[in-house]
Amino acid sequence: MEIPRVVVTGLGAVTPIGLNVDELWAGLISGKSGIRPISHFDTTNFPIKIAAEIASGFDPTKYMDPKMVDRTMRAVQLAMPALQEALKSAHLDMSKERKEKVGVVTSTMVESGYLAKGPELLAKLGPRRADPLFITKSGPSTLAMQIGMITGANGPNTYVDSLCASGADALGAALNFMRLGYADVMIVSGSDASLEPVTIAGMNIIGALTREPDPQKACRPFDLNRSGFVYGEASGIIILETLKHAQKRGATIFAELAGAGWSFDAYDMTAPYADTEVIAMRIAIANAGLKPEDIDYINAHGTSTKLNDASETKAIKMLMGEEKAHKTPISSNKSMLGHSITAAGVIESIATILTINKGIIPPTINYETPDPECDLDYVPNQARKAVVNNCLKNSFGLGGENCCLVFKRFVER
Amino acid sequence: MSTEESIKDIVVKIVHCDKSVLTPESTFKELNADSLDIVQILVALEDNFGIEIPEEDAQKFTSFGDVVAYVDSKLAEKK
Repeated sequence: MEIPRVVVTGLGAVTPIGLNVDELWAGLISGKSGIRPISHFDTTNFPIKIAAEIASGFDPTKYMDPKMVDRTMRAVQLAMPALQEALKSAHLDMSKERKEKVGVVTSTMVESGYLAKGPELLAKLGPRRADPLFITKSGPSTLAMQIGMITGANGPNTYVDSLCASGADALGAALNFMRLGYADVMIVSGSDASLEPVTIAGMNIIGALTREPDPQKACRPFDLNRSGFVYGEASGIIILETLKHAQKRGATIFAELAGAGWSFDAYDMTAPYADTEVIAMRIAIANAGLKPEDIDYINAHGTSTKLNDASETKAIKMLMGEEKAHKTPISSNKSMLGHSITAAGVIESIATILTINKGIIPPTINYETPDPECDLDYVPNQARKAVVNNCLKNSFGLGGENCCLVFKRFVER
Repeated sequence: MSTEESIKDIVVKIVHCDKSVLTPESTFKELNADSLDIVQILVALEDNFGIEIPEEDAQKFTSFGDVVAYVDSKLAEKK
């Protein structure tokens, strides 16, 4: 059996700098920051006061039945406009599809605030009086389930969890479902609304978040004075199709998802490890039928933590050698979008796909002072025109889960 | 507020239907209420009226009127 090629035919996004893909892209290339003072909860006693929130006023009832609003977490609600946008951009008509060949893979975080109410209620009222929605509303599988319910997709329906690598991981999992013949179309969603007091406090205690108070300057990937990441929320959808299926229905092809690679550090619960990060990059590139020298842009994990950015830089040098590494543009979308944990890999893949399409590399903003440990070309502060054919997208999970993807400009062969 | 009015408010809030469509003859099926809606309604009735509705009783409800009659009888028992 010939392994099918897989292409991108639909995109949708809801982010702190834009509520659709066009707005997201306009924000990214103009260096717009989505980082603001936190409004979702009172930060009076919190050392962290900023985040990349979706602007207030998001009304889920515009996108879903009010009953389904009651039954879903915010992460699922944020995915709905992105889903509508992606289906529209793909011109996908589900009534014409073999529904068992359309699948869904998602990545999301559970909402701790809602989860915590379960045991509270149990302690107060006993087992006979649980929240009837607890099981169907609280789990991480609910995002894939709701997307399946709405689209009627009867194919594989599941989620992945590798923390900050989850979004890329979901795309890689979907790629494999398609390569193995389980689906013609896969809807991939990364949607994260875990920007809550308990997660912020948890990330703060392990020293992952910056305490820099100025929202405009807080996130500065690869800069000497970077001091931690900025928590974010976002939702992205990418529709993947086998090339054969996309061509048969005359779909517009944005790019090819040509390869994926995985590795696990088995090193430290929170610190990154360049030696294993490079393994995921190498595997992804080989899986795409390319060599490291073919890569002409890297969309970095680039969190703005001391450890990640230095380690990622080191891994890129191990991958390509010093000379090629210095010649390859690298940028971090997180400088503008913050880190939307399980959504980041999908959102940044959308940016990578558009980089290929539009011939513009989004910048790394807030880059002021070079760090001797980060001495590559991070496309500082200004977007750059460039012909980009083969992109590497890095995503590294906080526990050591690494997933890298390769997107290629689509060409017939 | 009458028992019926209170129950109407509960049903409307959970099922998201228009209050005016609720008559004693309305069935859960007509109201597009699925199993999760029904469980939510029962729990809300128990909380609101301080009664306990055993599952075997709940399984007999088909219409809105059945529910009102049942809650009325439970409230009378309490007195």
